[in-house]
Amino acid sequence: MNFIRRSSFYKHFGVYVFLIVLSAFVLFPMLIALSQSFMTNQEVNRWPPKIVPTEPTLDSYDTVLTQQDLRLDLWLRNSLFAATGYTVAVMVLCAPAAYAFARLRFPGNRILFALLLATIMVPGQVTLIPNFLLMRDLDWLDTFNALIFPGAANVFGVFLLRQFFMQIPKELEEAAVLDGASYFGRFRHVILPLSANALTALGIFVFLFHYNDLFWPIIVTSSLETRTLPVGLSILNQSYAGQYRPMILAGATLSTIPILIVYIIFQRRIIKGVTMTGMAGR
Amino acid sequence: MLGINARLARPKWLALLPSPSLRTREAIAAYLFLTPFLIFFSIFFLRAVVKAVDFSFYDWRLLRRTIPYIGFDNYRELLDDEIWWIALRNTVQFAAMTVAGTTIVALAAAIAVTQPIRGQGFFRVLLYMPSLFSVGAVGLIWVWLLSTQFGVINYGLSFFGIHPINWLGDPDLVLPALSLTTIWWGFGFPMLIFIAGLQGIPDHLFEAAKIDGANGWQIFSHITVPLLRPTILFVTVTGVIAQFQAFGQPYIITNGGPGRASYTVIYYLYQMAWVAFRMGYGAAVAVTIAIIIAAITAVQFVLIGRRVEY
Repeated sequence: MNFIRRSSFYKHFGVYVFLIVLSAFVLFPMLIALSQSFMTNQEVNRWPPKIVPTEPTLDSYDTVLTQQDLRLDLWLRNSLFAATGYTVAVMVLCAPAAYAFARLRFPGNRILFALLLATIMVPGQVTLIPNFLLMRDLDWLDTFNALIFPGAANVFGVFLLRQFFMQIPKELEEAAVLDGASYFGRFRHVILPLSANALTALGIFVFLFHYNDLFWPIIVTSSLETRTLPVGLSILNQSYAGQYRPMILAGATLSTIPILIVYIIFQRRIIKGVTMTGMAGR
Repeated sequence: MLGINARLARPKWLALLPSPSLRTREAIAAYLFLTPFLIFFSIFFLRAVVKAVDFSFYDWRLLRRTIPYIGFDNYRELLDDEIWWIALRNTVQFAAMTVAGTTIVALAAAIAVTQPIRGQGFFRVLLYMPSLFSVGAVGLIWVWLLSTQFGVINYGLSFFGIHPINWLGDPDLVLPALSLTTIWWGFGFPMLIFIAGLQGIPDHLFEAAKIDGANGWQIFSHITVPLLRPTILFVTVTGVIAQFQAFGQPYIITNGGPGRASYTVIYYLYQMAWVAFRMGYGAAVAVTIAIIIAAITAVQFVLIGRRVEY
């Protein structure tokens, strides 16, 4: 047994070398940023660059968290809140629509679905200016409403969930019909519980998309209190570029820690979810 | 049976109307399920698209009172605008480099982690990690790596006798530098798609090839690539569409510079609409970008229409 494993190791030696080189390419920028965030400003601005701090210090973390014009903790909460709200809104809007398309007979089912799918061809950028002006007219600028609602009617979400709903055997629903379940009851108590995987996958996908979005939050938020993390990081970079590099790297590190923790706990689920969503688009 | 009757019982005030058939009830339920989605979709998508086209015919500036109708003048100005053409050329170059690099790295990574080796799962989790970062964090990390004076990349190159390179300050190097950053950030997702695609290829095809004495390269070029063709096409075309919309990299890392060497079309849109406050002209830019991207998507539909048989 041991012999077989060892021979397989030698056979795949090249694969291991490649994966280790690639992993180094992936890890190196993160580790350098992490390491330099513990340095002093003088130590970073030095040639040759130092990889490991001689005297690790938390000063830059202290500075980045106490600046008057930086609110990393608040921005993180804003990002989590807005992305969660957006994800819930996508689910609430898309799942019932997907159920109607997947299971219910009504005049125009096919045509309406085909028309919706065709709109995927129209990229979202074209809606930015009119939606921005609409936010202004609704007095939604600089509020969470602007971050949550405009993108919530997600056609891709309907498409993905419809695919999954269609795979659920009809017999399961028929049993519920005999028990006198309404259409909503069938959707709520038969379809949704059986689609937990698909809903999680879509949820992860849209959450990550929203959490990392930059353009829309830049244009609809303006006060420190409503900024999201990606916008906040760009502010940090613009305000302190050049002079306070360890502080900027500390900000970058702090901003990625929450999502990395979630990722490490739910790695399998996240990778499966992202793959599932991506493959459905194919 | 009792249960059904109880459910079907109608309110008394409806008793005067004829009872709707099951089919009608199903249709009414369907429309009710669709209504919330369609309301949001109509307001934030359909209405917005129509409005964008409409706005593009007006000289609408946010800080001015009057909004004169100017027909196609915005589009004429766009065609004559040197900066637009610079931005478009940059975007095409950036997208081409990034998608080529991303596809190659992602495919190689996917093949490597689907070999029967130890630590498959570990490598997958590790290699996907940068994709979770926001463009903000990616930008902050890479600005410093690419720094001319103190950057670690230039330090590494100095061992090969290469003098410090001004990555972000040289108009010829800024796009490749942003492209490298984006490959690092984004190859994880196509890698996962390729892994799923590779797992869809029946094992017996690889085994048959091995029995026939095919080497690694022959298996790759005669089995893997042809059978992955739809996946490769999907990854490259969606990649081009995504990279065509690149904004965060120039916004955070370079501010479009040096000069305008890293302007992308979406960065140009941002400058026109939210820095110069020219909403009408911005709408014309957005509509033009949308047409270009829709054309790329249409090509994707035509090409992917052909499926592969195993």
